[in-house]
Amino acid sequence: MSVRGVLAVVGVECSKLSAQLKARIVLAACAAGPFAFAAAMRVQSSVPSDTLFGRAVNDSGFAVPLVVLGFAALWAFPVLTSVVGGDLFSSEDRYGTWSTVLTRSRSRAEVFAGKVLTALGFSSLAVTALAVSSVAAGVFVVGQQPLINLSGVLISPATALIHVTLAWACVLPPAFGFTALAVLLSVATRSSVAGVGLPVVAGLTMELYAMVDGPEAVRRVFITSAFGTWHGLLTEPRYYRPLIHGTTVSAAYFVVCLAIAYRVLQRRDIGA
Amino acid sequence: MHEKTVGLRAALLATTTVAMFGCGPSPITSVRIEAAIEATFANLVQLQVSMLGLPSPPASDFGVTASCRTLAGRNAGAGDWVCNLVWLGPDRQHLRDAYDLFVATDGCYTATVEGNSLGGPTLKTPDGRDVRNLLFTFEGCFDTSS
Repeated sequence: MSVRGVLAVVGVECSKLSAQLKARIVLAACAAGPFAFAAAMRVQSSVPSDTLFGRAVNDSGFAVPLVVLGFAALWAFPVLTSVVGGDLFSSEDRYGTWSTVLTRSRSRAEVFAGKVLTALGFSSLAVTALAVSSVAAGVFVVGQQPLINLSGVLISPATALIHVTLAWACVLPPAFGFTALAVLLSVATRSSVAGVGLPVVAGLTMELYAMVDGPEAVRRVFITSAFGTWHGLLTEPRYYRPLIHGTTVSAAYFVVCLAIAYRVLQRRDIGA
Repeated sequence: MHEKTVGLRAALLATTTVAMFGCGPSPITSVRIEAAIEATFANLVQLQVSMLGLPSPPASDFGVTASCRTLAGRNAGAGDWVCNLVWLGPDRQHLRDAYDLFVATDGCYTATVEGNSLGGPTLKTPDGRDVRNLLFTFEGCFDTSS
């Protein structure tokens, strides 16, 4: 496996991806969604009071990205992070193109690595787009007022911006974990419906479990719990233990899913 | 066949381990909730006092003490809680307020005051602006693992 080979696969996958309407629609929704949300909050009187920072959306622009972050954990992150990862491998099955891909000069390992890197790249791009757009929506539509954090302390706009950025950075590990899960399902089932749909269903199921007071150990091994670990960054004193734990769980999902997916792909008998 | 048995045993062992650890006490305890709400309430009182243009002493001067129980009377578990807060008001008199809490499994809670002792959802500042009453409903999070 060579770096050049992997990069060549990434290049091909990226050009295929950029021609897809689906990828463009997802990124456009990430960019426009937060503005629509912030504008809607300005014109109507009710606020999303069931989400953290929901009551503050009209008081501080920095509450907007945190509300979007809270909303997105429920189903948007699983969708955004599996929409490409869950389709990259199974689309070759759908179009019957595996034999064409694998008879080129790239090894299976290179094709696998290239496709996984493309999926991870798209996931981070989607999360970053949503983050940047929701911060911009908050700042431009609501303003740069100080923010009251989760310990009732008023934090300055500059500090709030740093905390919001860090909070969004905290969801990247579970986002990559979901992408790895989508890749695994896409490779194993050879179906894009399963590759994209099952991670979303799994995410929703895990979120529903977190709403009932079940055993804590089960909640902690669910990757969705890592989407909420940023709460500790917005309290005083801050706490990091859930963040460390969530990142570890995400890393375990990532490694295990990709390892199994790679094994399945290597062992698969792909005829001409 | 042998591989299958090993796999089955490993799965059983994993399930049992999770179940054993899982059936331990809930990490949502009255001690953690009380510590969290005392600090957050004191900070919010201080913030609200200064927002209303009054001289605000440090948050610790409000001497907030909380005692919290679940609606079912237990002292652990996510769900609905009631917290009784005793604190020193701006003119040093003892005040009592009760809050209804909903505590989620991740250690984040929403607290809403019972009755009108602290005013409605909005307040008027001395210069006539309507501001959100920070003490009417507030939220916070605490570490469930420390």
